Amino acid sequence: MQFFQYGNEGYKSILDPRTKLLLLVVINVVIIGTGFTGTDFLLRIVCAAIPLVLFVIIRRYRTALLYGLVCLVMFFGEAVLIPCTTGTINLLIVITLGPFSRILVGYAFAYYMMCSTTVSEFVTALKQMRVPDQISIPLSVMFRFFPTLAEESHAIRDAMRLRGIRLTGKNGGLLKQIEYEVVPLMMSTLRIGDELSAASLTKGLNPGKPRTHICRVKMELWDWALVALSLGFLIYMLVLR
Amino acid sequence: MIKFQDVSFHYKNTDAFGKQQKTRGVDGLTLTVKKGEFVVLAGDSGCGKTTVTRLINGLVPHYYEGELSGTVSVCGMDVQSSGIGDLAPHVGSVFQNPRSQFFNVDTTSELAFASENLCTPPDEIRKNIRRIVQEMYMEPLMDRSIFALSGGEKQKVACASVAVAEPEIMVLDEPSSNLDAAGIEELAKVLALWKAKGKTVVVAEHRLYYLTALADRLLLLRDGKLAEEIPGDQIRRMDNAQAGERGLRSFTPIAMPETETVSAEDVLVCEDLEFHYKHSENGIHIPYLCIPRGKITAIVGKNGAGKSTFARVLCGLERKSRGSVRFEGREWKPKMRPSLCYMIMQDVNHQLFTDSVLEEVMLSMPESVSKQEREPLARKVLEQLDLSYLSDIHPMALSGGQKQRVAIAGGVVAKNPVLLFDEPTSGLDLRHMRQVADLLRQLRDTGKTVIVITHDPELVQEIADRVIAFC
Repeated sequence: MQFFQYGNEGYKSILDPRTKLLLLVVINVVIIGTGFTGTDFLLRIVCAAIPLVLFVIIRRYRTALLYGLVCLVMFFGEAVLIPCTTGTINLLIVITLGPFSRILVGYAFAYYMMCSTTVSEFVTALKQMRVPDQISIPLSVMFRFFPTLAEESHAIRDAMRLRGIRLTGKNGGLLKQIEYEVVPLMMSTLRIGDELSAASLTKGLNPGKPRTHICRVKMELWDWALVALSLGFLIYMLVLR
Repeated sequence: MIKFQDVSFHYKNTDAFGKQQKTRGVDGLTLTVKKGEFVVLAGDSGCGKTTVTRLINGLVPHYYEGELSGTVSVCGMDVQSSGIGDLAPHVGSVFQNPRSQFFNVDTTSELAFASENLCTPPDEIRKNIRRIVQEMYMEPLMDRSIFALSGGEKQKVACASVAVAEPEIMVLDEPSSNLDAAGIEELAKVLALWKAKGKTVVVAEHRLYYLTALADRLLLLRDGKLAEEIPGDQIRRMDNAQAGERGLRSFTPIAMPETETVSAEDVLVCEDLEFHYKHSENGIHIPYLCIPRGKITAIVGKNGAGKSTFARVLCGLERKSRGSVRFEGREWKPKMRPSLCYMIMQDVNHQLFTDSVLEEVMLSMPESVSKQEREPLARKVLEQLDLSYLSDIHPMALSGGQKQRVAIAGGVVAKNPVLLFDEPTSGLDLRHMRQVADLLRQLRDTGKTVIVITHDPELVQEIADRVIAFC
């Protein structure tokens, strides 16, 4: 389990995390709030195309292809099949495609955000948006803890198998199973958390005190262009429509 | 640079029975460390050496609470009245556990972390990082996920992340505990570099051989007091017998004993054992391996040689392995292997589940044992392992050594003929290492086949009937 990227081996994102956050909101607003006629439809297509282009830029060609195909099927279904069918078939298509097509684009964009942003870029961007330490520090510790939790729980499950603790059989039962897994997991997480705080304190971590960042996060030309586009979309959605 | 004046410290905590108690850290300790000196702190576990390192970086008394008397001054600051944050620019700390000392998820951010907290301008931090990376030959480790590094690489990053902010004093608390021989060699190079740059270095450590050449002084602590002060020249002339008298581990490197051939009588035979991890090149292929029954066999070899994978295959944790395992005239399929071989893991915390020691032992009993027999049998095994007085205690409240014994008790009642130990002596002093060795011999003498995976040459020398080297 891993959100965001943990290393950036020779790879540099072209967008600022703040732009990505704004786009994530705007794309969802547009896709959920528009229909299939006139300007609405045009907007939908533009928003759906954004993740596609971005996937190509970060060289995730297979993801791009898959996403593009699914998108095409969706649009075809919603724009062509729904108007020309009636009765049960129409209902079926609406129920299956409707919610899915409204989630798909936003989901794809969120996925892009996770694969193109490192944790340090994200945390630096939060700082630049003046998010207080009380939120940004727990967030970065959280990202750091996901893999640790996975490692620990893997080891505990191995130990359970060694001792023959299974869902069925002598020491079985779901509740027992959960208890046996959660108690050692909590103990080891507490211990790791305790040692981690001690180590961070000796490195001078002091929430609330100003600190610098070596991670470069800057709004470039592309970012401003996309911000302008997003604002345009928002104005259309909230005012013009 | 560092001055302790009649310092005593007692930790406040609760014992295994839930009573409030005070544990002695150090007791009336007076010592000075000069600028640029390389000092090794040695002594049994619980002798107070970790407390000394914590007093230098301020974790005692500001993070670990207790009663402090006397004065500690570091770089002219009084530790009691200044905070950990005030000491941070002057003291860099490297800890024992590579899993819990990184705040960031990637190596480059971790290297910058301490300097960022000190508000050093970003360009200067980048310059310092480039310099340290060059000095320590660690270009290949940059911009990587911390979670993809080996233990040795993590400890190297930990050292580098401390060095980037250029503190005058470096304190290390058992930095070699989780490292193999190659990792220790790398660590020794880093320490030599720091010494050459004129840093003041204080290392608390059990394994001493890699520090012998570097040490200016060795301080031997006993019961929180300074027992002996040995100058560097003298350490370099001392032999292992003299180290042993003082309860210390060897001052000189010990070669792993040679492999002996074994007469094929009663053996555990592995043939054509093969296993490969998904999406990875790691795996093992063992054409033929036999392990004598009722003996202690040590498995040695560097990290990544497949020792742990072999252990997982033998215990049946990797079901998709190919090849055969034969023991006592029958074939053990992967599914059956959990009742052949019981593993005592390196981190025993992972394998203790219940809320009392007695229950923990009963949990491991095979289904064939009847209800009335269970408790007496468990108590008998606890008796054998000197654990009876702890039978109602929560396993997590025990000390590391006691937990290990509880895990062993589980293996004994499970009636598995083979017991496998993964690094049972990592981070142990001489006395505790010998205790573990005695325990392993005791298990062998009751007829168990004991397999030990270890990086500890002294343990191998002490107990192994046979050594198998993986490479």
